[in-house]
Amino acid sequence: MASFAGMFWLAASLAAQPAYRAPRMPDGHADLNGIWQVLNTANWDLEPHGPGPGPLFQLGAQGAVPPGLGVVEGDHIPYLPEAAAKKKENFAHRLELDPEVRCYLPGVPRATYMPYPFQVVQSEKYLLFAYQYAGATRNINMTSAKKAPIDSWMGWSNGRWDGDTLVIDVTGLNDETWFDRAGDFHSDALHVVERYTPRSPETMQYEATIEDPKTFSRPWKISMLLYRVQDTNAQLLEFKCVEFVEELMYGHLRKKESKAGTKEAK
Amino acid sequence: MIRAIFAATACVLAIGSAQAQPAAQAPARLAASEKPWVSPRTPDGHPDLQGFWSNASITPLQRPPELGSKEFYTAEEAAAVDKKEFTERTSWDRLGNQARVHYDMSQFGLDVIQAKVALSRRTSLIIGPEGRIPPVTPEAQKRLADRAAARRGHEFDSAQDRPIQERCIVWAAEGPPMMSSGYNSNLQIVQGPGYVSVMEEMIHDARMIPTDGRPHLPSGIRQYLGDSRGHWEGDTLVVDTTNFTEKTSFMGSTSSLHVLERFTRIDNDTILYEFTVDDPATWTKPWTAQMPLSKIEGPIFEYACHEGNLGLPNTLSGARAAEEAKAAK
Repeated sequence: MASFAGMFWLAASLAAQPAYRAPRMPDGHADLNGIWQVLNTANWDLEPHGPGPGPLFQLGAQGAVPPGLGVVEGDHIPYLPEAAAKKKENFAHRLELDPEVRCYLPGVPRATYMPYPFQVVQSEKYLLFAYQYAGATRNINMTSAKKAPIDSWMGWSNGRWDGDTLVIDVTGLNDETWFDRAGDFHSDALHVVERYTPRSPETMQYEATIEDPKTFSRPWKISMLLYRVQDTNAQLLEFKCVEFVEELMYGHLRKKESKAGTKEAK
Repeated sequence: MIRAIFAATACVLAIGSAQAQPAAQAPARLAASEKPWVSPRTPDGHPDLQGFWSNASITPLQRPPELGSKEFYTAEEAAAVDKKEFTERTSWDRLGNQARVHYDMSQFGLDVIQAKVALSRRTSLIIGPEGRIPPVTPEAQKRLADRAAARRGHEFDSAQDRPIQERCIVWAAEGPPMMSSGYNSNLQIVQGPGYVSVMEEMIHDARMIPTDGRPHLPSGIRQYLGDSRGHWEGDTLVVDTTNFTEKTSFMGSTSSLHVLERFTRIDNDTILYEFTVDDPATWTKPWTAQMPLSKIEGPIFEYACHEGNLGLPNTLSGARAAEEAKAAK
Protein backbone atom coordinates (compact mmCIF):
# COMPACT_ATOMS: atom_id res chain seq x y z
CA MET A 1 0.00 0.00 0.00
CA ALA A 2 1.39 3.37 -1.01
CA SER A 3 2.08 5.73 1.80
CA PHE A 4 0.28 9.05 2.01
CA ALA A 5 3.59 10.79 1.37
CA GLY A 6 4.20 8.61 -1.67
CA MET A 7 0.80 9.40 -3.12
CA PHE A 8 1.41 13.07 -2.50
CA TRP A 9 4.74 12.86 -4.31
CA LEU A 10 3.11 11.09 -7.25
CA ALA A 11 0.34 13.68 -7.51
CA ALA A 12 2.82 16.55 -7.27
CA SER A 13 5.08 15.13 -9.96
CA LEU A 14 2.12 14.52 -12.26
CA ALA A 15 1.03 18.11 -11.81
CA ALA A 16 4.55 19.37 -12.56
CA GLN A 17 4.93 17.28 -15.72
CA PRO A 18 3.22 18.46 -18.86
CA ALA A 19 0.51 15.90 -19.53
CA TYR A 20 1.26 15.82 -23.23
CA ARG A 21 4.45 16.17 -25.22
CA ALA A 22 3.77 17.71 -28.62
CA PRO A 23 5.47 16.57 -31.83
CA ARG A 24 8.69 18.51 -32.43
CA MET A 25 9.92 20.70 -35.22
CA PRO A 26 13.52 19.97 -36.29
CA ASP A 27 14.60 22.91 -34.12
CA GLY A 28 13.10 21.23 -31.04
CA HIS A 29 10.11 23.52 -30.59
CA ALA A 30 6.56 22.18 -30.43
CA ASP A 31 5.00 21.84 -33.88
CA LEU A 32 1.82 23.94 -34.07
CA ASN A 33 1.42 23.67 -37.85
CA GLY A 34 -2.11 22.99 -38.98
CA ILE A 35 -5.59 24.34 -39.47
CA TRP A 36 -7.42 25.14 -36.23
CA GLN A 37 -10.85 26.29 -35.17
CA VAL A 38 -12.89 26.69 -31.99
CA LEU A 39 -16.11 24.83 -31.24
CA ASN A 40 -17.72 27.43 -29.04
CA THR A 41 -19.91 30.53 -29.17
CA ALA A 42 -17.32 33.05 -27.92
CA ASN A 43 -17.78 35.17 -31.04
CA TRP A 44 -21.42 35.74 -30.05
CA ASP A 45 -20.63 36.54 -26.43
CA LEU A 46 -17.52 35.90 -24.33
CA GLU A 47 -19.59 35.70 -21.15
CA PRO A 48 -21.94 32.81 -20.30
CA HIS A 49 -25.18 33.33 -22.20
CA GLY A 50 -28.47 31.64 -22.99
CA PRO A 51 -29.98 31.57 -26.46
CA GLY A 52 -31.39 34.80 -27.79
CA PRO A 53 -32.82 36.50 -30.83
CA GLY A 54 -30.45 38.07 -33.33
CA PRO A 55 -30.63 41.76 -34.27
CA LEU A 56 -32.56 40.97 -37.49
CA PHE A 57 -35.82 39.09 -36.95
CA GLN A 58 -36.01 38.29 -40.68
CA LEU A 59 -33.15 35.81 -40.30
CA GLY A 60 -35.18 33.69 -37.88
CA ALA A 61 -33.34 30.79 -36.30
CA GLN A 62 -30.39 31.33 -38.68
CA GLY A 63 -29.69 34.69 -37.10
CA ALA A 64 -30.38 33.69 -33.49
CA VAL A 65 -27.68 33.64 -30.81
CA PRO A 66 -26.61 30.09 -29.88
CA PRO A 67 -26.19 29.53 -26.12
CA GLY A 68 -22.74 29.06 -24.63
CA LEU A 69 -20.97 28.38 -21.35
CA GLY A 70 -18.71 31.40 -21.82
CA VAL A 71 -14.92 31.59 -21.96
CA VAL A 72 -14.16 34.31 -19.38
CA GLU A 73 -12.39 33.17 -16.23
CA GLY A 74 -14.78 34.12 -13.40
CA ASP A 75 -17.57 34.60 -15.97
CA HIS A 76 -17.68 38.40 -15.95
CA ILE A 77 -15.61 41.02 -17.76
CA PRO A 78 -14.47 43.62 -15.18
CA TYR A 79 -15.56 46.81 -16.95
CA LEU A 80 -15.03 50.22 -15.42
CA PRO A 81 -18.47 51.83 -14.81
CA GLU A 82 -18.40 54.09 -17.88
CA ALA A 83 -17.17 51.28 -20.08
CA ALA A 84 -19.96 48.99 -18.82
CA ALA A 85 -22.48 51.58 -20.01
CA LYS A 86 -20.77 51.76 -23.40
CA LYS A 87 -20.85 47.97 -23.74
CA LYS A 88 -24.62 48.08 -23.18
CA GLU A 89 -24.94 50.80 -25.77
CA ASN A 90 -22.81 48.78 -28.20
CA PHE A 91 -25.07 45.77 -27.72
CA ALA A 92 -28.20 47.82 -28.40
CA HIS A 93 -26.69 49.08 -31.66
CA ARG A 94 -24.68 46.00 -32.58
CA LEU A 95 -26.11 45.77 -36.07
CA GLU A 96 -24.74 49.22 -36.91
CA LEU A 97 -21.58 49.12 -34.80
CA ASP A 98 -20.09 45.61 -34.78
CA PRO A 99 -17.03 45.79 -37.06
CA GLU A 100 -17.71 42.19 -38.17
CA VAL A 101 -20.89 43.39 -39.89
CA ARG A 102 -18.68 45.55 -42.12
CA CYS A 103 -16.08 42.87 -42.82
CA TYR A 104 -13.40 44.79 -40.96
CA LEU A 105 -10.25 43.02 -39.77
CA PRO A 106 -11.15 41.25 -36.51
CA GLY A 107 -8.20 42.13 -34.26
CA VAL A 108 -6.78 39.92 -31.52
CA PRO A 109 -8.05 37.85 -29.76
CA ARG A 110 -11.35 37.84 -31.72
CA ALA A 111 -9.70 36.43 -34.87
CA THR A 112 -8.98 33.22 -32.93
CA TYR A 113 -12.55 32.33 -32.01
CA MET A 114 -14.55 33.54 -34.96
CA PRO A 115 -16.50 30.68 -36.56
CA TYR A 116 -13.90 30.27 -39.32
CA PRO A 117 -10.70 28.20 -39.46
CA PHE A 118 -7.21 29.65 -39.29
CA GLN A 119 -3.89 28.17 -40.26
CA VAL A 120 -0.52 28.25 -38.56
CA VAL A 121 2.53 27.99 -40.81
CA GLN A 122 5.56 27.48 -38.64
CA SER A 123 9.15 27.09 -39.72
CA GLU A 124 12.42 27.47 -37.85
CA LYS A 125 12.60 31.10 -38.94
CA TYR A 126 9.05 32.36 -39.21
CA LEU A 127 5.58 31.98 -37.81
CA LEU A 128 2.56 33.05 -39.79
CA PHE A 129 -1.11 33.01 -38.80
CA ALA A 130 -3.64 33.21 -41.64
CA TYR A 131 -7.34 33.52 -40.89
CA GLN A 132 -10.09 32.59 -43.31
CA TYR A 133 -12.28 35.49 -42.16
CA ALA A 134 -11.49 38.54 -44.34
CA GLY A 135 -8.08 37.09 -45.29
CA ALA A 136 -6.63 38.48 -42.06
CA THR A 137 -2.98 37.64 -41.39
CA ARG A 138 -0.47 37.97 -38.59
CA ASN A 139 3.26 37.69 -38.84
CA ILE A 140 4.64 36.66 -35.44
CA ASN A 141 8.02 38.21 -34.74
CA MET A 142 10.03 35.40 -33.09
CA THR A 143 13.41 37.13 -33.01
CA SER A 144 14.08 39.90 -30.53
CA ALA A 145 10.93 41.58 -29.24
CA LYS A 146 10.28 44.86 -30.98
CA LYS A 147 8.03 47.74 -30.09
CA ALA A 148 4.91 48.12 -32.24
CA PRO A 149 5.87 50.71 -34.88
CA ILE A 150 2.27 51.88 -35.29
CA ASP A 151 -1.27 50.86 -34.31
CA SER A 152 -3.07 48.48 -36.65
CA TRP A 153 -6.14 46.25 -36.76
CA MET A 154 -4.29 42.98 -36.16
CA GLY A 155 -1.67 44.53 -33.89
CA TRP A 156 2.01 43.80 -33.49
CA SER A 157 2.88 40.30 -32.30
CA ASN A 158 6.10 39.38 -30.49
CA GLY A 159 6.35 35.63 -29.89
CA ARG A 160 8.45 33.41 -27.63
CA TRP A 161 8.42 29.85 -26.36
CA ASP A 162 7.67 28.92 -22.76
CA GLY A 163 8.33 25.17 -22.90
CA ASP A 164 5.77 23.80 -25.34
CA THR A 165 3.65 26.93 -25.04
CA LEU A 166 3.81 29.61 -27.70
CA VAL A 167 3.39 32.95 -25.95
CA ILE A 168 2.48 35.94 -28.10
CA ASP A 169 2.54 39.43 -26.70
CA VAL A 170 0.28 41.68 -28.76
CA THR A 171 0.37 45.46 -28.63
CA GLY A 172 -0.25 48.24 -31.17
CA LEU A 173 -3.93 47.28 -31.48
CA ASN A 174 -6.25 50.10 -32.52
CA ASP A 175 -9.56 50.84 -30.78
CA GLU A 176 -11.75 49.89 -33.75
CA THR A 177 -12.19 46.17 -33.11
CA TRP A 178 -14.56 44.39 -30.73
CA PHE A 179 -14.26 41.14 -28.79
CA ASP A 180 -17.63 39.68 -29.85
CA ARG A 181 -21.09 40.36 -31.25
CA ALA A 182 -22.37 41.29 -27.78
CA GLY A 183 -20.62 44.67 -27.89
CA ASP A 184 -17.62 43.77 -25.71
CA PHE A 185 -14.93 46.28 -26.62
CA HIS A 186 -11.61 47.85 -25.65
CA SER A 187 -9.54 51.00 -26.12
CA ASP A 188 -6.24 51.53 -27.93
CA ALA A 189 -4.49 50.76 -24.63
CA LEU A 190 -5.28 47.08 -25.17
CA HIS A 191 -2.49 44.62 -24.42
CA VAL A 192 -3.13 40.93 -25.09
CA VAL A 193 -0.90 38.04 -24.06
CA GLU A 194 -1.87 34.82 -25.82
CA ARG A 195 -0.79 31.32 -24.88
CA TYR A 196 -1.08 28.36 -27.27
CA THR A 197 -0.39 25.03 -25.55
CA PRO A 198 -0.66 21.69 -27.37
CA ARG A 199 -2.65 19.26 -25.20
CA SER A 200 -3.29 16.35 -27.60
CA PRO A 201 -2.60 15.67 -31.29
CA GLU A 202 -5.98 17.22 -32.06
CA THR A 203 -6.34 20.05 -29.55
CA MET A 204 -4.56 23.14 -28.24
CA GLN A 205 -5.36 25.12 -25.13
CA TYR A 206 -5.79 28.80 -25.94
CA GLU A 207 -5.59 31.47 -23.29
CA ALA A 208 -5.52 35.23 -23.63
CA THR A 209 -4.90 37.71 -20.84
CA ILE A 210 -6.49 41.03 -21.61
CA GLU A 211 -5.28 44.24 -20.09
CA ASP A 212 -6.66 47.72 -20.83
CA PRO A 213 -6.67 50.14 -17.89
CA LYS A 214 -8.84 52.62 -19.82
CA THR A 215 -11.64 50.04 -20.05
CA PHE A 216 -11.23 47.37 -17.36
CA SER A 217 -10.62 47.56 -13.63
CA ARG A 218 -8.09 44.68 -13.77
CA PRO A 219 -6.59 42.26 -16.29
CA TRP A 220 -8.86 39.32 -17.15
CA LYS A 221 -8.50 36.05 -18.94
CA ILE A 222 -10.30 33.97 -21.53
CA SER A 223 -9.62 30.30 -22.06
CA MET A 224 -10.86 27.79 -24.63
CA LEU A 225 -9.86 24.85 -26.79
CA LEU A 226 -8.73 24.98 -30.40
CA TYR A 227 -9.47 21.89 -32.49
CA ARG A 228 -7.41 20.66 -35.41
CA VAL A 229 -9.46 20.61 -38.61
CA GLN A 230 -8.89 17.10 -39.93
CA ASP A 231 -11.27 16.73 -42.85
CA THR A 232 -9.70 15.22 -45.97
CA ASN A 233 -7.93 17.93 -47.97
CA ALA A 234 -9.03 20.61 -45.52
CA GLN A 235 -7.72 24.01 -46.57
CA LEU A 236 -8.49 27.64 -45.90
CA LEU A 237 -10.95 28.86 -48.49
CA GLU A 238 -11.27 32.41 -49.66
CA PHE A 239 -13.74 34.46 -47.63
CA LYS A 240 -13.38 37.95 -49.04
CA CYS A 241 -16.40 39.41 -47.33
CA VAL A 242 -15.84 42.98 -48.58
CA GLU A 243 -17.97 42.11 -51.57
CA PHE A 244 -20.86 41.11 -49.31
CA VAL A 245 -20.98 44.38 -47.39
CA GLU A 246 -20.80 46.84 -50.28
CA GLU A 247 -24.57 47.21 -50.64
CA LEU A 248 -24.83 47.80 -46.89
CA MET A 249 -22.02 50.36 -46.83
CA TYR A 250 -22.31 52.06 -50.22
CA GLY A 251 -25.82 51.17 -51.44
CA HIS A 252 -27.08 54.65 -50.51
CA LEU A 253 -24.58 56.11 -52.97
CA ARG A 254 -25.90 54.05 -55.89
CA LYS A 255 -27.17 55.97 -58.88
CA LYS A 256 -30.96 56.04 -58.90
CA GLU A 257 -32.76 54.21 -61.76
CA SER A 258 -29.48 53.15 -63.34
CA LYS A 259 -29.56 50.19 -65.68
CA ALA A 260 -26.53 48.48 -64.20
CA GLY A 261 -27.74 49.41 -60.75
CA THR A 262 -31.15 47.79 -61.06
CA LYS A 263 -29.52 44.59 -62.17
CA GLU A 264 -27.06 44.58 -59.30
CA ALA A 265 -29.62 45.45 -56.65
CA LYS A 266 -31.62 42.26 -57.18
CA MET B 1 -3.98 52.65 -44.12
CA ILE B 2 -0.51 51.64 -43.17
CA ARG B 3 2.20 51.52 -45.69
CA ALA B 4 5.69 50.16 -45.64
CA ILE B 5 8.29 52.83 -45.38
CA PHE B 6 11.60 52.27 -47.01
CA ALA B 7 14.82 54.17 -46.90
CA ALA B 8 14.41 57.21 -49.06
CA THR B 9 17.55 56.46 -51.00
CA ALA B 10 17.22 54.19 -53.97
CA CYS B 11 18.71 50.88 -53.04
CA VAL B 12 19.57 49.14 -56.21
CA LEU B 13 20.57 45.57 -56.68
CA ALA B 14 22.15 44.90 -60.02
CA ILE B 15 21.94 41.32 -61.04
CA GLY B 16 23.30 42.19 -64.43
CA SER B 17 23.65 39.38 -66.86
CA ALA B 18 22.05 36.90 -64.47
CA GLN B 19 18.79 37.48 -66.27
CA ALA B 20 20.27 36.47 -69.58
CA GLN B 21 20.84 32.98 -68.25
CA PRO B 22 18.28 30.21 -68.06
CA ALA B 23 16.97 29.87 -64.53
CA ALA B 24 18.80 26.63 -63.84
CA GLN B 25 22.25 28.09 -64.51
CA ALA B 26 24.34 29.92 -62.00
CA PRO B 27 24.26 33.68 -62.44
CA ALA B 28 27.17 34.89 -64.50
CA ARG B 29 28.16 37.55 -62.01
CA LEU B 30 29.06 34.81 -59.59
CA ALA B 31 31.48 33.28 -62.05
CA ALA B 32 34.30 35.28 -60.54
CA SER B 33 33.62 33.91 -57.10
CA GLU B 34 35.64 30.86 -56.03
CA LYS B 35 32.85 28.44 -55.18
CA PRO B 36 29.37 28.29 -56.68
CA TRP B 37 26.50 29.52 -54.55
CA VAL B 38 24.60 26.72 -52.85
CA SER B 39 20.98 27.28 -51.90
CA PRO B 40 20.23 26.98 -48.20
CA ARG B 41 17.78 24.17 -47.45
CA THR B 42 14.84 23.75 -45.13
CA PRO B 43 14.97 20.70 -42.81
CA ASP B 44 12.97 18.66 -45.33
CA GLY B 45 15.69 19.19 -47.94
CA HIS B 46 13.98 21.69 -50.24
CA PRO B 47 15.54 25.01 -51.23
CA ASP B 48 14.86 27.66 -48.64
CA LEU B 49 12.87 30.47 -50.28
CA GLN B 50 11.88 32.03 -46.98
CA GLY B 51 12.13 35.64 -46.11
CA PHE B 52 10.94 39.02 -47.29
CA TRP B 53 11.17 39.88 -50.96
CA SER B 54 10.43 42.83 -53.21
CA ASN B 55 9.16 42.46 -56.74
CA ALA B 56 9.43 46.18 -57.48
CA SER B 57 10.46 46.56 -61.09
CA ILE B 58 11.22 49.23 -63.65
CA THR B 59 11.12 46.79 -66.55
CA PRO B 60 7.94 47.08 -68.61
CA LEU B 61 5.74 43.99 -68.94
CA GLN B 62 5.65 44.33 -72.73
CA ARG B 63 8.62 45.20 -74.92
CA PRO B 64 8.51 48.65 -76.49
CA PRO B 65 7.62 47.98 -80.15
CA GLU B 66 10.67 49.84 -81.46
CA LEU B 67 12.94 47.21 -79.87
CA GLY B 68 11.54 44.46 -82.08
CA SER B 69 12.92 41.07 -81.11
CA LYS B 70 15.72 42.47 -78.95
CA GLU B 71 15.25 40.55 -75.70
CA PHE B 72 18.24 41.92 -73.76
CA TYR B 73 20.01 45.24 -73.51
CA THR B 74 23.78 45.29 -73.56
CA ALA B 75 25.32 46.24 -70.23
CA GLU B 76 25.88 49.80 -71.46
CA GLU B 77 22.35 50.16 -72.77
CA ALA B 78 20.91 48.73 -69.55
CA ALA B 79 22.91 51.19 -67.48
CA ALA B 80 21.60 54.08 -69.58
CA VAL B 81 17.99 52.88 -69.30
CA ASP B 82 18.28 52.42 -65.55
CA LYS B 83 19.85 55.84 -65.14
CA LYS B 84 17.05 57.45 -67.08
CA GLU B 85 14.45 55.60 -65.03
CA PHE B 86 15.99 56.58 -61.72
CA THR B 87 16.92 60.17 -62.48
CA GLU B 88 14.88 61.59 -65.34
CA ARG B 89 11.46 60.02 -64.99
CA THR B 90 9.23 61.04 -62.14
CA SER B 91 6.78 58.83 -60.33
CA TRP B 92 4.06 60.75 -62.17
CA ASP B 93 5.44 59.57 -65.48
CA ARG B 94 5.32 56.02 -64.20
CA LEU B 95 1.82 56.22 -62.79
CA GLY B 96 0.42 57.78 -65.91
CA ASN B 97 -3.14 58.88 -65.44
CA GLN B 98 -3.37 59.47 -61.68
CA ALA B 99 -4.06 63.04 -60.77
CA ARG B 100 -1.26 64.81 -58.96
CA VAL B 101 -3.56 65.98 -56.22
CA HIS B 102 -3.83 62.44 -54.87
CA TYR B 103 -0.45 61.84 -53.34
CA ASP B 104 2.94 63.31 -52.78
CA MET B 105 4.75 60.37 -54.30
CA SER B 106 8.01 61.15 -52.59
CA GLN B 107 6.43 60.37 -49.23
CA PHE B 108 5.91 57.01 -47.56
CA GLY B 109 8.04 55.09 -50.03
CA LEU B 110 5.35 55.33 -52.69
CA ASP B 111 7.81 55.83 -55.51
CA VAL B 112 9.31 52.68 -56.96
CA ILE B 113 12.81 54.15 -56.86
CA GLN B 114 12.50 54.29 -53.06
CA ALA B 115 12.08 50.52 -53.00
CA LYS B 116 14.70 47.88 -53.57
CA VAL B 117 14.53 47.16 -57.26
CA ALA B 118 16.15 44.14 -58.81
CA LEU B 119 17.48 45.32 -62.13
CA SER B 120 17.45 43.16 -65.18
CA ARG B 121 18.93 43.47 -68.66
CA ARG B 122 15.63 42.28 -70.06
CA THR B 123 13.87 44.76 -72.32
CA SER B 124 10.50 43.39 -71.13
CA LEU B 125 9.29 41.03 -68.43
CA ILE B 126 7.67 38.90 -71.13
CA ILE B 127 10.33 36.60 -72.50
CA GLY B 128 10.91 35.37 -76.03
CA PRO B 129 11.39 37.07 -79.39
CA GLU B 130 8.00 38.80 -79.31
CA GLY B 131 8.09 40.13 -75.79
CA ARG B 132 4.44 41.08 -75.92
CA ILE B 133 1.08 39.65 -74.85
CA PRO B 134 -0.11 37.51 -77.77
CA PRO B 135 -3.19 38.66 -79.71
CA VAL B 136 -6.55 37.92 -78.11
CA THR B 137 -8.89 35.46 -79.80
CA PRO B 138 -11.88 36.79 -81.81
CA GLU B 139 -14.14 35.41 -79.06
CA ALA B 140 -12.23 37.38 -76.43
CA GLN B 141 -12.22 40.50 -78.59
CA LYS B 142 -15.99 40.38 -78.72
CA ARG B 143 -16.32 39.62 -75.01
CA LEU B 144 -14.05 42.51 -74.03
CA ALA B 145 -15.78 44.90 -76.43
CA ASP B 146 -19.22 43.90 -75.11
CA ARG B 147 -18.05 44.32 -71.55
CA ALA B 148 -16.59 47.76 -72.28
CA ALA B 149 -19.79 48.81 -74.08
CA ALA B 150 -21.99 47.66 -71.18
CA ARG B 151 -19.79 49.58 -68.77
CA ARG B 152 -19.68 52.79 -70.78
CA GLY B 153 -21.68 55.50 -69.04
CA HIS B 154 -22.11 53.33 -65.93
CA GLU B 155 -18.58 53.46 -64.55
CA PHE B 156 -19.65 55.37 -61.44
CA ASP B 157 -23.17 53.99 -60.93
CA SER B 158 -22.40 51.85 -57.89
CA ALA B 159 -19.59 50.29 -55.87
CA GLN B 160 -20.03 47.12 -57.89
CA ASP B 161 -19.27 49.06 -61.08
CA ARG B 162 -15.83 50.06 -59.82
CA PRO B 163 -12.68 47.97 -60.38
CA ILE B 164 -12.03 45.27 -57.77
CA GLN B 165 -8.81 46.95 -56.62
CA GLU B 166 -10.62 50.20 -55.86
CA ARG B 167 -13.15 48.14 -53.88
CA CYS B 168 -10.30 46.61 -51.85
CA ILE B 169 -11.29 43.08 -52.81
CA VAL B 170 -8.06 42.12 -54.57
CA TRP B 171 -5.10 44.28 -55.48
CA ALA B 172 -4.71 44.03 -59.25
CA ALA B 173 -1.03 43.12 -59.04
CA GLU B 174 -1.68 40.50 -56.37
CA GLY B 175 -2.16 37.69 -58.82
CA PRO B 176 -1.31 34.99 -59.29
CA PRO B 177 0.59 35.78 -61.36
CA MET B 178 2.21 38.25 -58.98
CA MET B 179 3.15 41.52 -60.63
CA SER B 180 4.97 44.50 -59.33
CA SER B 181 2.56 46.79 -57.50
CA GLY B 182 2.66 50.58 -57.84
CA TYR B 183 4.08 50.69 -54.33
CA ASN B 184 4.60 48.26 -51.43
CA SER B 185 5.68 45.52 -53.81
CA ASN B 186 6.61 43.36 -50.86
CA LEU B 187 5.97 39.76 -50.00
CA GLN B 188 6.93 37.16 -47.44
CA ILE B 189 7.49 33.46 -48.06
CA VAL B 190 7.20 30.96 -45.19
CA GLN B 191 7.70 27.20 -45.67
CA GLY B 192 5.99 24.89 -43.20
CA PRO B 193 5.80 21.11 -43.49
CA GLY B 194 3.72 20.37 -46.60
CA TYR B 195 2.97 24.04 -47.24
CA VAL B 196 4.50 27.07 -48.82
CA SER B 197 2.83 30.32 -47.89
CA VAL B 198 3.19 33.51 -49.88
CA MET B 199 1.88 36.62 -48.18
CA GLU B 200 1.71 39.83 -50.15
CA GLU B 201 1.56 43.18 -48.42
CA MET B 202 -1.03 44.30 -51.00
CA ILE B 203 -3.57 43.51 -49.62
CA HIS B 204 -2.82 41.12 -46.76
CA ASP B 205 -3.71 37.87 -48.45
CA ALA B 206 -1.73 34.79 -47.57
CA ARG B 207 -1.67 32.22 -50.34
CA MET B 208 -1.50 28.80 -48.70
CA ILE B 209 0.06 26.44 -51.21
CA PRO B 210 -0.07 22.74 -50.27
CA THR B 211 2.83 20.68 -51.65
CA ASP B 212 1.40 17.29 -50.68
CA GLY B 213 0.09 16.38 -54.12
CA ARG B 214 -3.59 16.82 -53.33
CA PRO B 215 -6.00 17.59 -56.20
CA HIS B 216 -7.37 21.04 -56.97
CA LEU B 217 -10.63 22.21 -55.36
CA PRO B 218 -13.86 20.99 -56.96
CA SER B 219 -14.57 23.11 -60.03
CA GLY B 220 -17.63 24.66 -58.38
CA ILE B 221 -15.44 26.57 -55.93
CA ARG B 222 -14.01 29.65 -57.62
CA GLN B 223 -11.70 32.09 -55.85
CA TYR B 224 -10.35 35.53 -56.69
CA LEU B 225 -6.81 34.27 -56.10
CA GLY B 226 -7.58 30.86 -57.59
CA ASP B 227 -6.55 27.59 -55.98
CA SER B 228 -2.81 26.89 -55.85
CA ARG B 229 -0.98 23.55 -55.66
CA GLY B 230 2.79 23.33 -55.44
CA HIS B 231 5.45 20.76 -56.13
CA TRP B 232 9.23 20.76 -56.39
CA GLU B 233 11.04 20.20 -59.65
CA GLY B 234 14.67 19.94 -58.63
CA ASP B 235 15.43 23.23 -56.90
CA THR B 236 12.41 24.99 -58.34
CA LEU B 237 9.05 25.41 -56.63
CA VAL B 238 6.34 25.05 -59.26
CA VAL B 239 2.87 26.36 -58.40
CA ASP B 240 -0.16 25.47 -60.48
CA THR B 241 -3.24 27.67 -60.05
CA THR B 242 -6.77 27.18 -61.39
CA ASN B 243 -10.35 27.76 -60.13
CA PHE B 244 -10.33 31.51 -60.73
CA THR B 245 -13.52 33.57 -60.67
CA GLU B 246 -14.85 35.29 -63.76
CA LYS B 247 -14.26 38.57 -61.93
CA THR B 248 -10.54 38.01 -61.34
CA SER B 249 -9.82 38.83 -64.99
CA PHE B 250 -6.04 39.01 -65.30
CA MET B 251 -5.51 41.23 -68.37
CA GLY B 252 -8.89 40.25 -69.76
CA SER B 253 -8.77 36.54 -68.89
CA THR B 254 -11.76 34.37 -67.99
CA SER B 255 -12.28 31.89 -65.17
CA SER B 256 -10.50 29.27 -67.30
CA LEU B 257 -7.19 31.07 -66.64
CA HIS B 258 -4.38 28.67 -65.75
CA VAL B 259 -1.25 30.06 -64.11
CA LEU B 260 2.01 28.19 -63.67
CA GLU B 261 4.61 29.90 -61.50
CA ARG B 262 8.23 28.91 -60.96
CA PHE B 263 10.28 30.12 -57.98
CA THR B 264 14.03 29.46 -58.17
CA ARG B 265 16.49 30.94 -55.71
CA ILE B 266 19.53 31.89 -57.77
CA ASP B 267 21.60 33.54 -55.05
CA ASN B 268 21.32 34.78 -51.52
CA ASP B 269 19.55 37.97 -52.54
CA THR B 270 17.50 36.81 -55.50
CA ILE B 271 14.62 34.52 -56.42
CA LEU B 272 13.96 34.22 -60.11
CA TYR B 273 10.18 34.30 -60.50
CA GLU B 274 8.68 33.12 -63.76
CA PHE B 275 5.06 32.69 -64.73
CA THR B 276 3.23 31.25 -67.69
CA VAL B 277 -0.41 32.15 -68.20
CA ASP B 278 -2.76 30.27 -70.45
CA ASP B 279 -6.41 30.92 -71.22
CA PRO B 280 -7.59 29.55 -74.57
CA ALA B 281 -10.72 31.67 -74.20
CA THR B 282 -8.57 34.82 -74.21
CA TRP B 283 -5.17 34.48 -75.88
CA THR B 284 -4.11 32.74 -79.06
CA LYS B 285 -1.23 31.11 -77.15
CA PRO B 286 0.24 30.95 -73.62
CA TRP B 287 2.80 33.58 -72.64
CA THR B 288 5.62 33.71 -70.14
CA ALA B 289 7.24 36.47 -68.11
CA GLN B 290 10.19 36.46 -65.79
CA MET B 291 11.29 38.82 -63.04
CA PRO B 292 13.74 38.78 -60.16
CA LEU B 293 12.54 39.12 -56.57
CA SER B 294 15.13 40.82 -54.40
CA LYS B 295 15.64 40.24 -50.74
CA ILE B 296 14.53 42.96 -48.34
CA GLU B 297 14.80 43.18 -44.62
CA GLY B 298 11.12 43.21 -43.77
CA PRO B 299 8.82 43.05 -41.98
CA ILE B 300 5.80 43.81 -44.10
CA PHE B 301 3.01 45.83 -42.56
CA GLU B 302 -0.75 45.66 -42.44
CA TYR B 303 -2.45 47.20 -45.44
CA ALA B 304 -5.99 47.63 -44.12
CA CYS B 305 -7.40 48.61 -47.50
CA HIS B 306 -11.15 48.15 -47.00
CA GLU B 307 -11.05 49.55 -43.47
CA GLY B 308 -9.55 52.81 -44.73
CA ASN B 309 -11.36 52.96 -48.04
CA LEU B 310 -12.64 56.52 -48.23
CA GLY B 311 -11.85 56.68 -51.93
CA LEU B 312 -14.74 54.48 -52.98
CA PRO B 313 -17.57 56.32 -51.16
CA ASN B 314 -16.02 59.67 -52.11
CA THR B 315 -15.90 58.64 -55.76
CA LEU B 316 -19.55 57.61 -55.71
CA SER B 317 -20.80 60.63 -53.78
CA GLY B 318 -18.78 62.84 -56.12
CA ALA B 319 -20.54 61.25 -59.09
CA ARG B 320 -23.95 61.75 -57.44
CA ALA B 321 -23.13 65.39 -56.69
CA ALA B 322 -22.06 65.93 -60.31
CA GLU B 323 -25.35 64.42 -61.52
CA GLU B 324 -27.38 66.65 -59.20
CA ALA B 325 -25.47 69.73 -60.34
CA LYS B 326 -26.09 68.77 -63.95
CA ALA B 327 -29.80 68.20 -63.32
CA ALA B 328 -30.13 71.57 -61.56
CA LYS B 329 -28.83 73.44 -64.61
